[in-house]
This record gives sequence, structure tokens and C-alpha cells, in this order.
Amino acid sequence: MSSRTGRPPVRSAAWRISMWATLAFTCGTLVVFIFLDRFVANDIQRRSDAWLSGEVEVLGDVAERTPNDALYNRVVGEVAELASREVPEKSASQQPENDSVFFIQTARDGALKLWVGAGDGQSHLQAIQAAQLAATGPVSIHVRGYAVPFRVASDSMADGSRVYLGLSERDQRRVILNLRMRFFVLWLSIVLLGFAIVFFTSRRTLSHVRNITEAASHIGESDLKLRVPTSSRNDEISQLGDTLNRMLDRIENSVNQLHTITDSLAHDLRSPLTAIRGKLETSLASHDADHAEPIVSAIEELDRLTDFLNKSLDVAEAKADALRLHPTNIDLDELLRSTIDLYEPSMNDRGIRLGLHSATPVHIVADEGLIHRMVANLFDNELKHLPSGCSVDIFLQQQEGEARLILRDNGPGFDPEVREHLFTKAVKGKRSSGHGLGLAFVDAVVRAHAGKVSADNLSSGGARIIVSLPLAAQEADRLHTAHAG
Amino acid sequence: MVEDEHDIQAFLQQALSEAGYSVDVAPDGRTAEALSKSNKYDILIVDLGLPDQDGITLITRLRQIGVIAPVLILSARRSVDDRVRGLEQGGDDYLTKPFALAELLARLRNLLKRNAPQGSELTRLRVQDLELDLLRREASRSGQQLQLTPQEFVLLEYLCRNAGRVVTRSMILDKVWGMRIQPDTNVVDVHIYRLRGKVDSNGQMPLIRTLRGVGYVLQDR
Repeated sequence: MSSRTGRPPVRSAAWRISMWATLAFTCGTLVVFIFLDRFVANDIQRRSDAWLSGEVEVLGDVAERTPNDALYNRVVGEVAELASREVPEKSASQQPENDSVFFIQTARDGALKLWVGAGDGQSHLQAIQAAQLAATGPVSIHVRGYAVPFRVASDSMADGSRVYLGLSERDQRRVILNLRMRFFVLWLSIVLLGFAIVFFTSRRTLSHVRNITEAASHIGESDLKLRVPTSSRNDEISQLGDTLNRMLDRIENSVNQLHTITDSLAHDLRSPLTAIRGKLETSLASHDADHAEPIVSAIEELDRLTDFLNKSLDVAEAKADALRLHPTNIDLDELLRSTIDLYEPSMNDRGIRLGLHSATPVHIVADEGLIHRMVANLFDNELKHLPSGCSVDIFLQQQEGEARLILRDNGPGFDPEVREHLFTKAVKGKRSSGHGLGLAFVDAVVRAHAGKVSADNLSSGGARIIVSLPLAAQEADRLHTAHAG
Repeated sequence: MVEDEHDIQAFLQQALSEAGYSVDVAPDGRTAEALSKSNKYDILIVDLGLPDQDGITLITRLRQIGVIAPVLILSARRSVDDRVRGLEQGGDDYLTKPFALAELLARLRNLLKRNAPQGSELTRLRVQDLELDLLRREASRSGQQLQLTPQEFVLLEYLCRNAGRVVTRSMILDKVWGMRIQPDTNVVDVHIYRLRGKVDSNGQMPLIRTLRGVGYVLQDR
């Protein structure tokens, strides 16, 4: 399982879940923060506008009531000065000259009558006149020489003169910027924390799923008695584990039942077969050769029947994934050589040439008896169906973690009518003399070893059967390291 | 012999007596245990499916009461039980039903031989005028060298070691090719036919005989 643990986390489901969760969370909090920002900014604006409107009214009132004498400028100026001290959200570091507030009184002709503030007030007045202030609420005005606009409220008096009170938006902006900075830091840390929490919890949860997957993949390939891990928590994951385990219980029961049925069927048939065969054999010994013929053929029929019984039950069990395996390490190359050794004389007698193309030992972990019978079946199949003068080439290769055994002949190929169902039970060609279990048995054995088998007719004529079986684990590992080095 | 099926009991008893063994038959585990206490047997044949208990349980109990004789297990079950495999490694053997008598007798002989003191390993085999040199892997008949392939030599050696006794096709496949298979073609017959062509040529008395339905025998007289 080294490949699984070595997988980068960015390809895990936990990572994907956390990314999407974080994206949704980020968007959600961003919308909330933008809304809050708008709300706070508007509120600050509204409050400062209310202050401006109130103050300009007071100042207008004062200016109207104060007699137009020598003291007028001083009285109104001081009132304006006082008002400027009450500016909302004023910055703490007060500059010596307060340039964030100004007061202007203009005469009826628009000339500057009274100026309270930093500088001479000419540029402020020009900007106000250029903006042509209406009598309604405060507006923003850009004054030359100032980066930040002023918020200006105005009031007109009975004598036709006007008073203007301006407040720089600088402090207001500073407050909002300050607020935004804090919002941003807070937002970033919430998002990162959220991502971390989601990532680690989902990874933890999904690791249970991975454990279940890993355990489940071992079940069946080795032993049906294994169960997936469960936890005491009654969450969805442990429910999944429990459900899988209950399913495995049922499967194990069915498989055991199948074993019981096939065993008792085999037992019930074999005991009489044994008795009959034994009696035939003992009576064979007491007969002379002339009378032995019927007994001999009866014995041969019995042996065929026994073989058929064994193969049928094997195929039935394999179809239900219930074949009992006793795996050991097998060298297919060696096995093929001794099988060819066994079959070559028979093949030669029938005028069939055998060729083996295999260079190195190929190790698989499999049930030796079953693999022997499977390979023998493949050879029997060729021997029975190939006409004289044909040749069979056998290739043994290892590629992509599999051992691949290919039997290729230049005979007539598979009958089109049986080709579709070659590996199903009891299918055979018209000329076939077997009971049609051969290739079904091959398929059953190969499947039970997590391999696959396919058959086709070559365009150049002849049939081809390809059997793929997983290589022994150490073989796969060795190849892997050889590639890496 | 512990076997509950009457028919199997009958023919086995007859065949074993004919082969020169004296046989006591027990139909169930209890009788077998009682017999084992009062007699000392050289070998036990135990059927796995007994009416009163499991064959394996019986063997374990017999071992507990001090029976050391080797056991040949007869099984009608399809696949060989893991527990039987365990016993097999412990020096016992098994045979699945139905079986050829020749195979049963061969396995009995093997088990008895395993228990008997081992003689020095033979380097030459001699059956009538057939002679095998096991070291140089050469065979000759009446002094005439036979041109055998290595596989044919192994086959002939196996037949010689069992001279006078019947060997079945599946015994040959198992011992010579190391395969427990039942080919539905005549592959073994072709090998025997070729070997016979080399051994029994020139009008000499044929040594390798085919017993149809049973197997082959290399005649030793």
C-alpha cells in the first residue's frame, strides 16, 4: 500500500472538500464584511453630515444675531472655532493648525466676508462656488491643494449672505480604512482557520473510509472471514462499516452454504462412484482379457464422470467467487516447460508443432493444482481441436505487473457461433468431443486468481487465447524499483 | 481400516487381502478406538466422513492415546481440507474418492516405507534384463544401450521402482511431471507408447504392459 500513502494530499478527497468549503466560506464572509463596511461607512457619513447640518445652522443663527460691529468677526470666529473642536472621529495626533475644518461667510455678492480655518480660504471659496451648492444636505467638494475632499454644508441668511461649514473627509476615511484593515486580518485568519479545521476533520473522517476500503480490498482475495474496521461512534462512517460487515456476513454465509452444498453433493456422488469403481476393478482382476472390455470401458466412463463432476463443481464455485485457493509461489516458465514436455509427443503424433517463447522465470502466487489443471486444459483444447500440420506458439511475458500467457495457433480458429460464449459453461463446437467445460474451467481459475482471459480469431487465421494473471508481489516490486533506479 | 460405507468396505477388504495385507474393519470411530487399544497396526486407513465423528477428530484422539502408525486419509470432499494438509505434513497422506486401487496400494506402500528403516540409496535398478544406471542416467536392455530422453528415463525409472505393480496415469503424472491433473487427452499413453517402442523393440519379450482401465505395469517375471 506504499503507493497509497505516498499520494500527494492535493489529490485527496479531503483536500477537495476543504477547498470547496473554504471557497464557500470565503465568499460568504466576504459578502458579510462588504455589507458591514458599507453599513459602517454610511453610518459615519450620516453622523458627520448630521453634525455639519446642525453646526451650520447654529453658526448661521449666531452670525445673524450678532451685530455687525467690530466684534462680529471675533464672536462668529470663536463659535466656529469651538464647533471645529467637536468634530467627530477626529484624529488623535492633533496638528498645530487645524486644517480639517473651515468656516466661510460670504457676502451677498459672494465675496469672502469671514474665514476661519487654515490658509486664506480663497481656494476653498472657489471650489464651493464652482460646485454651486444647493441649499439641501451636505455635499463633497474637492479643494485644490487637498488630496481628500471636504464635506460642506451651507445655510443662507436673511441678508442674503451665506455661511459654509466644511469638514475634511480625511478622518472619516482613516477610520474606515482602519476598520477595513482589521476586517481583512480577521477575515483572513477566519478563512485559514476554517480551512485547517475542515481539512483536518475531513481527512480524519475520510481516513476511516480509506481504512474500510483497504480492508475491504483484502477481503475476498484472501479470506472471507475478515471484516472492515468499525468505530464505536455511531456516525455515517461506522454505519457504512457495519453495513459492509453485515453484507460480508451474508456473503460468507452464502459461500459457506454453497460449499456445504457442493461438498455434500460431491460426497453423495463420490461414495457410490468409489464403490462402483472398486467393484469393477476387483472384478476386472478375476476376468480374462476377452471379457474385460465392458468393465474397462465402464471404468473409463466412471473416470470421465468423476472429472466432469470435479470440473463442474469447480466452475460453479468459481462463478460464485467461492473457489478455495491454497496459493503458493509458482514459476510459470518452469510449469510451461514441463507441460510442453508432457504434451509434445502427443502433439507431434498429430502433426502439431509446439513452440515456446519465454525468456525468464515468471513468478505468480497461485493455487498450484488449479493452475496446473488450467494450463493442461489449454493444451488439451489445442490438442483436441487443431488439425494436423498446424503449429501452436506459446508466449510468456511479463508486463504492467501481469504475467501474460498467450497461446496462438494457425488452425481454423473458433467457430463464430461459439466464440461469443467460449468461456461459459458447456459450450463446445460441433466437432468437439469434450464436455465443453474446458475453457469455462480456465476462465473460472483465472478469475479466481484476479486475472482475466480473452480469446479471439486472428485476421491472419488461427485462434489466440490470452491469459493474464497478476505477478507475485515481490516481482512487481522488483520491477518497480528496477524502473525507478 | 475405518470406513462406514459397506460397499467400499467390502471391495477394499478384498483388494487389500489380495495384496497381502491383513485387515480389521471398523465402521465408526468408537470401534476404531477400541480396536487400536487392543491391537498394534502398521497403518490406518481413515475415511473423513464417519457416522459418529469427524475423521480428523478420530486421528487426533488416536494420536493422543499413543497410536503412532501412519494414516492414509480417504476423503470424499471436493477440495482438500487445510487440516488434512496439516496431517499430510505430519507424515500422513490422503486420497480423494473415487480412487484407483493401484493408487491406494502405492500410497500404502509409500507410507509403510517411510516408517521402515531406510536402506542405502540404490544406484542401479535391475528388472529382468533391463538395467538402469541412476548415476549416469543410462538404461540398457540385454546389454544394449537404450537411447532415452531425460524425461523417458525418469518415466522408466518410476516404472522400474514399481516393477510388478500397477501404476495409474495420475500416479505417473504426479510423480514424473509433478502435476495432479486429469487430462482428457491421451498424453500419458503417448509417452508410454514411445518408451515401449524403445524398450520392447527387436521382438524381445514385452516388459511394459497396459492394463486397460487401470494403468500400466512393468513386468518383473
